[in-house]
Amino acid sequence: MAFRIPSLLLLALASPLHAAVDFAHEVVPILEKNCVECHGGDKSKGGLSINSRALLLDADVLEIGKPEDSLFIEVLTAEDPEDRMPPPKKKKEALNSAEIAVLEKWIAEGLVWEEGFTFAVDRYEPPLKPRVVKLPAGEPGTNPIDLIVAAHLKSKETKAPQPVDDRTFLRRVTLDLTGLPPSPEALSELPSEGKLDRAAAVDKLLANNQAYAEHWMTFWNDLLRNEYIGTGYIEGGRQQVTTWLYRSLLENKPFDAFIREIIAPGPDSGGFIKGIKWRGVVNASQTTEIQFSQNVSQVFLGINMKCASCHDSFTDRWTLKEAYGLAQIYSEAPLELVRCDKPTGEKAEASWIFPELGNVDPTKPRDERLKQLAELVTHPENGRTQRTIVNRLWNQMMGRGIVHPVDAMNTEPWNEDILDHLANYLVVSKYDLKAVMRLIATSRTYQSRTEVRDEDEGTYVFKGPVRKRMTAEQFIDSIRQVIGVWPAPDQNAFGKNLTGGQLTAVMEAHGLKEWDKRPVRAVFAKRDELQAALGRPNREQVVSARPDIVTTLEAINLANGPELAALLKAGAANLQGKAAPRELIENTYLAALSRKPTDSEVRIALEILGETPTPEATEDFLWSIFMLPEFIYIN
Amino acid sequence: MTQENWYDEAHPELTRRRFLSALGATTAATFLGGAPRALADEKRIKQPTATADSCILIWMAGGMAAPETFDPKRYKPYEVGTPVDQIISTFPAIDTAVDNIKICQGLENIAGVMDRATLIRSHFQPDLGSILHSRHQYHWHTGYVPPQTVAAPHIGAWMAKVLGGRNDVMPAFINIGQQLEGHGESEELKAFTTGGFFGSEFGPMNLPFPDLASQAVKPPGGMSPDRFSKRYKALENLLKNSPKSGELSDYHQESMLRSIDNAHRLLGSKEREAFDLTLEKKEIFDEYNTGRFGQGCLLARRLVENGARFVEVTTEYIPFVHWDTHENGHSTVERMKKEIDRPIARLIKDLEERGLLDRTLVVIATEFSRDMMIEGVPGSIAQDQSRAATDVIKEMKHYGLHRHFTGGSSVVMFGGGMKKGFLYGATADERPCLVRENPVSIEDLHATIFTAMGISPKTEYSIEGRPFYATKDGIGKAVRDVFA
Repeated sequence: MAFRIPSLLLLALASPLHAAVDFAHEVVPILEKNCVECHGGDKSKGGLSINSRALLLDADVLEIGKPEDSLFIEVLTAEDPEDRMPPPKKKKEALNSAEIAVLEKWIAEGLVWEEGFTFAVDRYEPPLKPRVVKLPAGEPGTNPIDLIVAAHLKSKETKAPQPVDDRTFLRRVTLDLTGLPPSPEALSELPSEGKLDRAAAVDKLLANNQAYAEHWMTFWNDLLRNEYIGTGYIEGGRQQVTTWLYRSLLENKPFDAFIREIIAPGPDSGGFIKGIKWRGVVNASQTTEIQFSQNVSQVFLGINMKCASCHDSFTDRWTLKEAYGLAQIYSEAPLELVRCDKPTGEKAEASWIFPELGNVDPTKPRDERLKQLAELVTHPENGRTQRTIVNRLWNQMMGRGIVHPVDAMNTEPWNEDILDHLANYLVVSKYDLKAVMRLIATSRTYQSRTEVRDEDEGTYVFKGPVRKRMTAEQFIDSIRQVIGVWPAPDQNAFGKNLTGGQLTAVMEAHGLKEWDKRPVRAVFAKRDELQAALGRPNREQVVSARPDIVTTLEAINLANGPELAALLKAGAANLQGKAAPRELIENTYLAALSRKPTDSEVRIALEILGETPTPEATEDFLWSIFMLPEFIYIN
Repeated sequence: MTQENWYDEAHPELTRRRFLSALGATTAATFLGGAPRALADEKRIKQPTATADSCILIWMAGGMAAPETFDPKRYKPYEVGTPVDQIISTFPAIDTAVDNIKICQGLENIAGVMDRATLIRSHFQPDLGSILHSRHQYHWHTGYVPPQTVAAPHIGAWMAKVLGGRNDVMPAFINIGQQLEGHGESEELKAFTTGGFFGSEFGPMNLPFPDLASQAVKPPGGMSPDRFSKRYKALENLLKNSPKSGELSDYHQESMLRSIDNAHRLLGSKEREAFDLTLEKKEIFDEYNTGRFGQGCLLARRLVENGARFVEVTTEYIPFVHWDTHENGHSTVERMKKEIDRPIARLIKDLEERGLLDRTLVVIATEFSRDMMIEGVPGSIAQDQSRAATDVIKEMKHYGLHRHFTGGSSVVMFGGGMKKGFLYGATADERPCLVRENPVSIEDLHATIFTAMGISPKTEYSIEGRPFYATKDGIGKAVRDVFA
């Protein structure tokens, strides 16, 4: 909590006539009256926050010892009211000469500031430790998420969204857990509406370890910056974790073990903490040590350490010292704190940012420190880690985080009980990520109709899941499943000299001597122009959310890009002559959209295809289906 | 940052709140992640009055040596046995249309249009300790030294984001001549050839082969226009008849349909003909056609005529090829000049004849210069990368500027509100040829370009709770002396 009032002790030491300026009595009132409204608390107009001395100095608006050269004074004394601070629209008087004199003296004397004083206001501070959730009463056996959501809706006087039918559910959950739409076989096995055992369907999907791993690779590749080629690889300044990651997902490694192996890595899981090493000199906030600090904070704790790795953050409570403390855990050499690219002379000490859980021993060697850090990140009392991951999973499945955006875990959740219950559930289930997904997927909440949504988000009230756009990988894989054409494995595995070959990871994990008939998923392919256009990032930065809209340049690529055109061509060739037009239409609707076409849709599709469809006509029909929002958005 | 950096004499309206704008007008939003948010409060940052509507960046990729092109120094002809430290320029100087400006032999056509140009000889780059072209190119194109914690947008993406297209069909940002696949640093190039955190809507339309550009706005290979439009109609029909069409009011879906519509509008528009070089008169095409680069200049002209906002045309960066002369510098540069001289001059004249030059800013730039002896700047720790290291010239491959020099390079600007026949800044006559007056940093050069285009260098967006500026930290200051 912020310390607002200077101590009484200081008040007692009232200053004699020619003594130094009195910060608490003389300076603070002037700043409070004139500046803080726009430049203090959570306001920082023009990027200027005067919350702390460090922030004021970082802003470079004054030169200590030289009030006459300080813009700070200049704007306060400007002749023209239009140029002057405070601005005319604030209807404040210009500072009088006595006030100016105090501020000038204050700058001249070295900008004395009281230790710990800040103009920052209290903001939401998320709890660190886990919190027991008292579930609202309800029918026995009700999914706890539904109990909490029902209470939430009641308090907001909102009706629960309608449940979806079995088909819609199966399509949604199959895409969410395995990245592909349900196969026509799975759809044909659907019992009559309302009779599907949805929990069993979820279990069946989660038991498909390979499909699960190959879908969730995309999510983890983005988070762990695991790309197969790119910046840093030129001189060994970057390392893949593909083999380790694939195996970990395949065996559903408990998440605490997963984190420990990333932070205190073995030979094949070190790529994440190594970061990307650029040749030559880099900005102080982008050394691999600072990348470590930023990325561990962001990925596992939902903390933005990027601001604090340059100066004390003025959007949250993290400081330069804390950012460097984390970096020093990783660093072999002693680090010096660098504020906005200026060395401070202060040495960093290896330390962890939530000392209430314990700390690392800075005297220990690096590997030991990393192990200690891994223990702290996965500490049973560290609710932050637990909340961060369950919130990410919720976001992936529900289209919007309980805390949103997902990398800002200092934001108040729209419902603490769901967040905390899921976090506790993760721990109780021994860090089993699939168990959490199962709990979400079997809730009525997940199984409700999606919200028809406007862009503008105000206060959030749950009105149903948010539609998700297929990722680039999902889009391509889904098309391939519909057309029944997968690439040859050699088209996706790069030469060994480039990457080691992503498919090698798959073969080793499954004990294959040769590639069998299993599909070669897009996640293992190089990021080609189509994937790039569809939003697969280059993974130079951590990415936790893909773009949710389709842009014009993407649409141009989808209209005439060679990659999609080649896919359609291959698809048409594969489907040619296998079915009568009507059957082709019905099969395609089922495979792509998980439903039967209506009569009018059949009629239009028949117009495209003609009685004996040419390959071109089939391509055009397929294109029209794949361009439907119904295909690309997971409803 | 020093105080004068905040002050923009040319734009006194900025001084009203320069205190704020210098720091960047932002309410440090706690918003983290998600879409970038504009922090443009018109009252705080007044955008300058544009002197140009379009910008063509002519990119000399790989490090164009200033002493071999636009900043001639003491010339030393090829002679076996010459100690290399005696060589600064390997081309003699020639006269231009402007009395006090001389440039190097091989650029005779450009010399003839220098009376329309502002020549800046005092651009310089930071020494990044190790010269990696793509890293310096990233810096030049985004204004930020990589790596960055967020994906920095390309200068063209800034224009697309802040200004948008000039009409409703032509993509705002078009990138001509660079293949982004198949060579050693292609991933590094892709890292800045992007809309960055603005998203792909503001990223470049890439046209690596000018003669194939028309394919980018045509139906896919082998598809007739008739079939293409039928296919689109079929989609429309299916949409209209979908039982799910009631869900389309969702903004995601709406945006998807709008984008598909935009794409088809371009592909069906008259402007699309601008992409087709075969529609150009043969004698004009021939005049430009020195190869891909020359064709790229012609394409750039056609695109700007039809409403493009920002076009980059590059000689193409491929490690050790084109301007990236690690050996055989003289003969390579001789060839490069043949490639660029005629089309650039023709482009300037064409724009002028069409009355477009006044509102089109053409900029010739490169990531750094070169020197015979010095890697980086004097005292740099950068590793020597010459492949023709020698003390005396023994054979032709030794003759040329084979090291990367960051202490002073040349930039040429035409039209778009720049002075005509004007020389700004200078480098030393003898090695080290460092900038000796009016230094222009990347921030200030970008500020100049942005200002001409009507974008304040302090324009900012918030991403992940951090203010992010058109020029690094908002410090770029337009070089007012070069404006007419």
